[in-house]
Amino acid sequence: MTDLLTVSNLSVFYGAKAQAVENVSFSVQQGSVVALLGANGAGKTSIMKAVAGLISTKGTLTFDGVDVSAMPARARVKRGIVYVPEGREIVGEMKVRENLVLGGYHLNGRERRSRIEMVLDLFPEIANKADRSAWRLSGGEQQMLAIGRGLMAGPRLLLLDEPSLGLAPMLVRRVFDRLGTIRRETNLAIVLVEQNLAMTMRICDHLHFLRGGQLVGYRSAAELQDSAARQEAIDAYLGAAAAA
Amino acid sequence: MEFLSNTARDLFPLVWSGMITGCLYALGALGLVMIFKSSRVVNFSHGNVAGFAAFLIYGFSSGVLLELSWGMAVLLTVMAVIAIAFATYAVISPLVFESDLTATIATLGVGLIAQGATLLIFGADIVNLDLPVPRFSMSVLGLLVTGYDLTVLSVAIVTIGALFIVIDYTKLGIAFRAISENPFAAEVCGLNLRSVHLFSWIVAAVLGVVGALLIVPTTFLSVTTVATFMLQAFAAAVIGGFASLPGSLIGGILIGVLMNLFTFYVSPEFSSTFLLGVILLALNIFPNGILQRVGGSRV
Repeated sequence: MTDLLTVSNLSVFYGAKAQAVENVSFSVQQGSVVALLGANGAGKTSIMKAVAGLISTKGTLTFDGVDVSAMPARARVKRGIVYVPEGREIVGEMKVRENLVLGGYHLNGRERRSRIEMVLDLFPEIANKADRSAWRLSGGEQQMLAIGRGLMAGPRLLLLDEPSLGLAPMLVRRVFDRLGTIRRETNLAIVLVEQNLAMTMRICDHLHFLRGGQLVGYRSAAELQDSAARQEAIDAYLGAAAAA
Repeated sequence: MEFLSNTARDLFPLVWSGMITGCLYALGALGLVMIFKSSRVVNFSHGNVAGFAAFLIYGFSSGVLLELSWGMAVLLTVMAVIAIAFATYAVISPLVFESDLTATIATLGVGLIAQGATLLIFGADIVNLDLPVPRFSMSVLGLLVTGYDLTVLSVAIVTIGALFIVIDYTKLGIAFRAISENPFAAEVCGLNLRSVHLFSWIVAAVLGVVGALLIVPTTFLSVTTVATFMLQAFAAAVIGGFASLPGSLIGGILIGVLMNLFTFYVSPEFSSTFLLGVILLALNIFPNGILQRVGGSRV
């Protein structure tokens, strides 16, 4: 399988001295789910924002064979790199449908309308609330709207940052079931940052472990069948030990 | 009894003319609020640029610069202020993304440049700029309504209505509202923040020209006329919470009526003091604007 995204020697700095990510390299294949695992402050969100073009970085990002390192965020969205940020970041005062229009802003009218129908079919929970202000939705519905808005752009790579944050377990399962459906139906590649380890292990193909802004280990989904490897993942999640 | 009848006789015309002037303040305030909502910059150059535009119309139609028809002079001026808005945003846009306060202070500089350019090109003389409106007056329920009143009212309704339609029902309006409320979300969705900022700067500049055109015929045109008028527009924006378009509309009308009543019943000399008092009172009672909504959010 060819790589859709290749991240080479990625470094992220906040200000002159604070380095959040140091020489990180990994790749994402078409249709695969790659999880970034690590404790708070490990650099997961910084990597997501760097790939999305929302912060300045050092290193090389190649997407579908094209170097996108110098491209602004809007150019990356057009190419199919779409970020669904932590905390949903929907526009609360706007209607649900308008939030979806925002997600597909660069599409033409016909394509946008058909994508809105597709998203509302996928998330029937928000379909009958499409003309309500987005802030009136429940937390789970807002997360579905955030993912739906990301899907509006026609992504080839979805960067999902903590989609289960603040959701009840039943809603988390529902959100992850939908992600599974989307992935099967569209062959979408996903980079996932998630605190819910059980759900992450259920959906992902590859896990990268991060600590202090560096990649310190890797496991495939098959390897995670082994209880020792699973424990290693849990340790990485807790920030307790580095994986081999 | 006589006092009450005199009050009733004076009150309605004062309220009516206050509402007409208030529509103009609202046009000015809408420009300030458009820019603030999108780019978080208080544009202190708004009045001086609009004043420069009024002088350009005078210059283009009176033979000082060109000898064009009034309509052509307005068209050329609108094109000029769009170019000025473009240039202003080009200069301050790097600051907008670094510091709102620095960008706001930079607009003071732009305002001084506009004022300096006005003095350089047109001098410090007071000139007369007329508005070709139907000149008639009629009595409606004892109220004297003039052609100027109806012109202001219809221009304000059409301009503000068109603006609200664009913002509420178009894709560009969705982008404007998204950037106003959550610029990060807008950026994540691939919007070009600079284009939407520029849209609001251009709309504000055009609203400034419309406001200046309509206010100048009631007085005279000097280098400070429109800037002084924009002080009232600023108060209207403050009453509206500086981030609400409907709020600034209501704020404009409220300021127009209150200023008229104060000038007539209390003292014209202290009208500026009264205006500052209204701004302070509004900030204390409605810190988020007169239309502050009791909203909420789900977590």
